[in-house]
Amino acid sequence: MTALDQSGKTTARFTVRPALLVPIAAVGFAALIGLGLIALIGVPVHDAIAAFIDGTVGSAYSIAASINRSIAFALVGFGFVLANRANLTNVGGEGQIAVGGIAATAVALDGHVSGLPLGLAFILPMLAGVIAGAVWGAIAAIMKIKAGTNEVISTLLLSFIGVWLLYWCVQSPALLRKPMTSSATLPESLEIPDETKLPLLTGDYSFPLHIGLPIAIVIAVVIAVVLSKTILGLRLRAVGLNPVAANRAGISYARTVIFALASAGGLGGLAGALMLLGEQYTLKDGFSSGYGFDGLVAGLLARGSVTGVIAAALLFGFMRSGGINMEMVAEVPTALVVVIQGLIVITLAGAALFIERWERK
Amino acid sequence: MTWELFAVFLGSSIRLATPLLLAGIGEMVSERAGVLNMSIEGMMLTSAFASAVGAWATGDPLIGLLIGIIAVQPVALLQAVLSNTLRANQIVSGIGINILVLGATTLAYREIFGARSRAEIPGLGKIKPPLLGDIPVLGPAVFEQVWLLYLGIALIVLTALVLRYTSIGLAIHAAGAEPKAVDKSGLSVTRIRYGCVLFAGFMASLAGAFLSIGDIHTFTEGMTRGAGYLAIASVIFGKWRVGGTVLACLLFGAATALQFQLPALGVDVPNALLIMLPYLLALLAVGGLVGRQMAPATLGEPFRR
Amino acid sequence: MSMTSGTQTASVEPLLSLEAITKRFGSFAALSDVSLELRPGEIHCILGENGAGKSTLCNLIFGVHRPDSGAMRFRGVPFQPSGPADALSHGIAMVHQHFSLVPDMTVVDNVLLGRERGVLNRKQCARQLEKLAIDYGLPLDPYAKIEDLSVGERQRVEIVKCLIRDPSLFVLDEPTAVLLPDEIAALLDVCRRVASSGRAVVLVTHKLAEIKKIADRVTVLRGGRVVATSATPAADIDALVRAMIQGNVEALDSSAASVLGLAPVQRARRDRSTTTKTEALQIDGLTVRDSQGVTRLDNFTLTVDRGEIVGVAGVEGNGQSELTAVLSGMMTATGGRIHLGEAELTGLAPKQITAAGIGIVPEDRHAVGCVTGMSLAENIYLNRLDEFTRFGFLKRTALQREAAAMMQRFDVRARGPAATFFSLSGGNQQKAVLAREITLPNLTCLVAAQPTRGLDVGAVAAVYDHIRAASTRGVAILLVSSELDELLSVADRIVVLYRGRIMGACAADPARREEIGAMMAGHAQDHVQGNLHA
Repeated sequence: MTALDQSGKTTARFTVRPALLVPIAAVGFAALIGLGLIALIGVPVHDAIAAFIDGTVGSAYSIAASINRSIAFALVGFGFVLANRANLTNVGGEGQIAVGGIAATAVALDGHVSGLPLGLAFILPMLAGVIAGAVWGAIAAIMKIKAGTNEVISTLLLSFIGVWLLYWCVQSPALLRKPMTSSATLPESLEIPDETKLPLLTGDYSFPLHIGLPIAIVIAVVIAVVLSKTILGLRLRAVGLNPVAANRAGISYARTVIFALASAGGLGGLAGALMLLGEQYTLKDGFSSGYGFDGLVAGLLARGSVTGVIAAALLFGFMRSGGINMEMVAEVPTALVVVIQGLIVITLAGAALFIERWERK
Repeated sequence: MTWELFAVFLGSSIRLATPLLLAGIGEMVSERAGVLNMSIEGMMLTSAFASAVGAWATGDPLIGLLIGIIAVQPVALLQAVLSNTLRANQIVSGIGINILVLGATTLAYREIFGARSRAEIPGLGKIKPPLLGDIPVLGPAVFEQVWLLYLGIALIVLTALVLRYTSIGLAIHAAGAEPKAVDKSGLSVTRIRYGCVLFAGFMASLAGAFLSIGDIHTFTEGMTRGAGYLAIASVIFGKWRVGGTVLACLLFGAATALQFQLPALGVDVPNALLIMLPYLLALLAVGGLVGRQMAPATLGEPFRR
Repeated sequence: MSMTSGTQTASVEPLLSLEAITKRFGSFAALSDVSLELRPGEIHCILGENGAGKSTLCNLIFGVHRPDSGAMRFRGVPFQPSGPADALSHGIAMVHQHFSLVPDMTVVDNVLLGRERGVLNRKQCARQLEKLAIDYGLPLDPYAKIEDLSVGERQRVEIVKCLIRDPSLFVLDEPTAVLLPDEIAALLDVCRRVASSGRAVVLVTHKLAEIKKIADRVTVLRGGRVVATSATPAADIDALVRAMIQGNVEALDSSAASVLGLAPVQRARRDRSTTTKTEALQIDGLTVRDSQGVTRLDNFTLTVDRGEIVGVAGVEGNGQSELTAVLSGMMTATGGRIHLGEAELTGLAPKQITAAGIGIVPEDRHAVGCVTGMSLAENIYLNRLDEFTRFGFLKRTALQREAAAMMQRFDVRARGPAATFFSLSGGNQQKAVLAREITLPNLTCLVAAQPTRGLDVGAVAAVYDHIRAASTRGVAILLVSSELDELLSVADRIVVLYRGRIMGACAADPARREEIGAMMAGHAQDHVQGNLHA
């Protein structure tokens, strides 16, 4: 929070503010380095760029896929921003996505669910995902409250545990692995029934944008409003700035921390559920790989603003599609995209001091 | 369980604990001075990669080790600059470095070795210490280890002595507990913290080198697999003391060793659960037993006069 | 304006001289055109109110800051320390107002910090400490941990840290604020001994009693400027005071004046309706044991009537923080009960305690009392946000409006209700916190801990006015303060806390100052009275 930002409003205006300029500059800088690296490994730069663009907007399918991916990143990013308002850093996105996917799959595969009316067939699995993620976040919250455990370490360790839980679920026939007909049966779940799959916005599989989009938009609006206009948002802020004084003023530290981390976890769980129910339809090992960190970086880039998260999530969603195509067509490893993301985070972290000084003038 | 199996278990525990011990002690020193390095993971990975490539390119594991050590120092310096001079959020900057290193080492590995190769890399040798190694039954299995471990033990003892009996040790402790006192006594908090981060980087480089050229003699993408975070957890579990940290690392090493031990005993536990065990243990460790008041007072906060 | 009277001439060469020093922080001029000279063998006092620039001056000398213009000379040579290390190497040592000691290290280790290289020689250091103890009267246990020492003992460690470096210039920044009455006398004696050994001593203070006792020379600061100097302080004391506060002492609120040592303490003469003496706050056997098992508060029993002002005297660190923390619901007592009228408040959460009608002005407002990053309006109503909620939404305009009214009523000066709390001066911040607590709808009891610490005379007077007004309204007031003068002039009755126990109680009569001082030093009351009457 800066001296100018007195009312705690989220920055939705497009004035030339350092908080907006620096992330854009960071992305630009990292992209330049990325191009340099592409040249360094001997791939003709314009080939790489062509493949990248083709992967991002080359077809209706790729656009829809990119947006679907962005939704997952955005949800994790929203969760990060929400928790960060209370000065809590949630880095467990990957694990929360994983358990969200597990729960959604488990519920979707349950015989009773697919027959339910009124869309409950896909709503229930979604809710299961949210609850699973919320529990994952709440564990870290309780540890923080009871033992003062730094939530960075706890959410991180929980993330590893969540990912290995996923591995266990798809490896074990007793859990979610599909019946092994031969020794070559892949470790993954059965495909979820059609009724439990998320309806598509256009109904057309060549443009598979699912209802996760309107859901995410609603969530974005709700969070933006909560943070800037409600008592809840004020309480989060107070606890984030001075938990002792907030406690003295009657704001319950415990309840605020649980709310913040459980919400962040729940949003991560929702992301996992949407990925499963909307695109993948089968629970596989490593399906959450990298999504948690991408969402985290989106949250960091956004510096507390919901629109910032959306912008960053879209950027990374399209970047990932472009990256995949670059690897397939131009032989540029997707690790390059990871390098660019790392550079963005470091640049922003290092520039924070200057942004603060700039804004104070 | 027979004595042989137990010896193998002990030996594995020590072997798997070694990278944690090396990285953990370095991070402990840095945290005592007030700097949290989430990037230990990235530093270890850098060294694992650099020493592997170095050993492969020159055919000499020792040179590989040296290259690994040298390669980490710029990364540690970057973290030090971010944490102390630019006063960046130590957690965010550390994670950023980890992401960058993961991408960079994966990219470089693909370019040098191709996507599927598992190149054979000359590795560091083991040594068998004279007396201990000759204990019947237990001796060879437990005490014949890569010489980096014994170097590590010497470094750990040295660190403990320096912290307790020298002026640097005093300054490090004070820098984390009450940096104002350090500043007013004429010392430079910044220099102390820089030094500690670089030391943590040095120790992490040994740990990373152990992983690739010490233990399995190869490099795989992202091979640190969270070991850096376990090292950080061990420091918390060990209450920022040498003895506690060492015990915590051994415990995590033993938990990891169970992965191989239990199947050998015929106990049928899903592999995933066993892999999960050290993280679970670390979670319980940081959650159950240590309170806020144990940590160095200014851990994670940049110093401003 | 200089008031040097005839006989003493400055024949000794100045050790350190400041010429036309100016220091700005942003647009705020902390020091403007300040010049002074410090001579060996002299105790030079720098007198000024809180906020006059005294600490900035010390920090400049010690190299923590650099002046924007002007020059310093050390033994005639131009001198600009690049930092504390540089100042220390020139022989300048400073005892700061807020100690910089490492709590979980021993005295020896704290003294050794930054002094030696290589392997530590703790035994030798302990021997040196013992010698200093004898030479200067500073007894200390070398192997005690700082966290186990009293505030007075910790200050001794700070002094010893300086003296062991054999400084030529010895600066003390407001050293007596945290001391017991007889510790103050001992400290002044140490200063005299240090000066007699040929060093220059600078004592920064706002207490006149100290000036009268030991100052050889005085420089008065007001608003960052030198407004008066004197080489015969005892004789010129009235003129110095007038210069310090820019006005006449008589025009000041008498309590505020006495707290600052500007006027003798007068017994509070207040009209208290003695019709019904209802007990408001009842504390019974309150005991607090901390996580290490140390008893911080021991069987504390006290009753405060409606409209009564009870003072809790005692130097910081004797259980006051624990008392305030328990009363505000931030800490659970190990034993004992608290009642407010009929209602029992033991173990309730802060929210319920506020609802029951207890207001607390904490001793460290930045840690507990306010959220500096939020706005003034948000801070004032932080514990009453529910009043500004509709369906969960914040009624921002109503909040600003009410806050503006509050600002008027309590003379809180700021850019506006939306200004960040951080941008307010210390005095205004304290007024805001006081405003918040005093305007609680059903306020029955107000607990104020060190409410005037660090405030200038105007703010101090305002705080006392509000406290008195509240007490006239019937609010029971518990005033916790380490400033005995404050309690003597404001409170009706005083109890003394020492190491968590009540040593005794008596009426707040200035005539009984000695008795109270003895209790603050740990002598139980009947003991003391026995001695006094003997």
